[in-house]
Amino acid sequence: MSGAPSAEPLLRAERVTVPRGRRMVVRDVSLDVARGEIVALLGPNGAGKSTLLDALAGALPVAGGRIERHGRVAIALQSADLARRTVMANMVLALGWWGIPRSERTARAQAALEAIGAGHLGRRPAGTLSGGERRRVHLARAIAVQPDILLLDEPFAGLDPEARARLLEDSVSALRSQERATLVVVHDRAEAWALADRLLILIGGELVADGRPRELLESPPTATVARFLGYDGHLLDAGEWLLTRPPHVVLDPAGPLEATVVRAVALEDGFRLELKLATGRLFTVAALPAPGIGDTVRLRIAGGARFARSEARDEHEVMSV
Amino acid sequence: MHLIWEELRAAAPLIWHGDPYLVSVIWFTVQVALIATACAAVIGLPIGLAIALGRFRGRRALQIVANASLGLPPVLVGLVLFLAFSPQGPFGSLQLNVTRRSVFIAQTILALPYTVALSAAAVQALPSRLLDQARLFGAGRRQLSALALREARIGVMAALIAALGTTLSEVGAIVIVGGNVYGYDQTLASSALYEANAARYSAAIAVGIILAALILLLMGGVTLLQQRTGGIRLRFRTAT
Repeated sequence: MSGAPSAEPLLRAERVTVPRGRRMVVRDVSLDVARGEIVALLGPNGAGKSTLLDALAGALPVAGGRIERHGRVAIALQSADLARRTVMANMVLALGWWGIPRSERTARAQAALEAIGAGHLGRRPAGTLSGGERRRVHLARAIAVQPDILLLDEPFAGLDPEARARLLEDSVSALRSQERATLVVVHDRAEAWALADRLLILIGGELVADGRPRELLESPPTATVARFLGYDGHLLDAGEWLLTRPPHVVLDPAGPLEATVVRAVALEDGFRLELKLATGRLFTVAALPAPGIGDTVRLRIAGGARFARSEARDEHEVMSV
Repeated sequence: MHLIWEELRAAAPLIWHGDPYLVSVIWFTVQVALIATACAAVIGLPIGLAIALGRFRGRRALQIVANASLGLPPVLVGLVLFLAFSPQGPFGSLQLNVTRRSVFIAQTILALPYTVALSAAAVQALPSRLLDQARLFGAGRRQLSALALREARIGVMAALIAALGTTLSEVGAIVIVGGNVYGYDQTLASSALYEANAARYSAAIAVGIILAALILLLMGGVTLLQQRTGGIRLRFRTAT
């Protein structure tokens, strides 16, 4: 698929299937991550992202397929549990487990903490850290060991929006390394856009998309991927399904389409409107003053993704968007 | 009530004037308690860690046995040891019956379930991903064990406190295997039993009071150590 750079892949999975108990949680997944590349693995809850990551790290056995790892793999698990010691002691401990000589540990730990904006936390006991600080230390620990392949499982999970945004900003530069292949599981699309060179989408245990984030967003390969990427509107147009995101739907008094507002949800600086048309249902964001429920509006479509009616698994799938 | 008061009044001078017999019994009791607890820790903590961290067959069965052993009847332990150390028993050649060594062995066996079962439970109560993460960073078995013991130190100290309490106060096994010989292998608990059996209730109460004071002293010391190492202060700091 598109987007793979030409650099040598340090991590490669070929048709990997991973069970959890009797259930195959990951099925037939092939992927590669090259040196210097940051790849985001995105998917809904229960898609098998963490299971795939554990298997790629070698922490879970695979039922089928092959995984090649060229170099040492470090994985930062989703839970950022730290030992009841100071931050620096936690860092030094991890470097010791990794096999870094004692004389180098403190300097490497401090450098990694500073890279992620946590240089001032070294003397703090882990028990006194906030959720965001704890996640920073957890990330710093994974960066400090300088692995060839770095696997991160939802490094921004459980943070409030402000703390998440700050950590995300600092991570963009801290995670970038020409020597390392990085695969990061994310739950939120915004995290993937901010971090990744390439985006993998896992739904129902299967890899359904692989490409550059912007390309995938602009032209999703399937209706399922489109829906996952926020294409929440649908319109039957010339025998095809036209799927849209809110920016694609523009209220325009001179527009060719007519719709009725059936729902209006207040946002910070406007309203999210649900619009009912003769052959579909669209969503848009309207600035204040916005039309109210029951009003008739005119609109035009500026973008979207088209799919043949047969391409969507069935019409109900699209109609349920 | 009057009788108890009279016996307590009669016991007081015995405590204040502390004869050499009483001093030797106190010293032997302290020796037994500390050495048996230390032996139970050295043997039991690795087994507890293996139960909590290991991935071997029979791990659950071992934990069931350890937990069940918390209710091990001391009299049964004393009888089994007595038979094992008797001349016809498998360890008869060691000639351990009615010796001080047998008292150390009996109390170590009674303390062992506490160090095994409670330390295993303490380590199992740790956030599992903390240890998983250490494994994934390449921590070996010894490094994992050190991390687990340190992180579970409040629970591990509780296991040692329970073991210490057993070695101080259990009497059922040592009177059988040690013989409860006056002035030789008596602990404060077995001495109190000895005096009570001889209907010297004042002496029995005096010994009992000293035992209770010793338990308070040793347990208090270990509890303070638990609070210092275990992060009671840290919890307060976290909460503020």
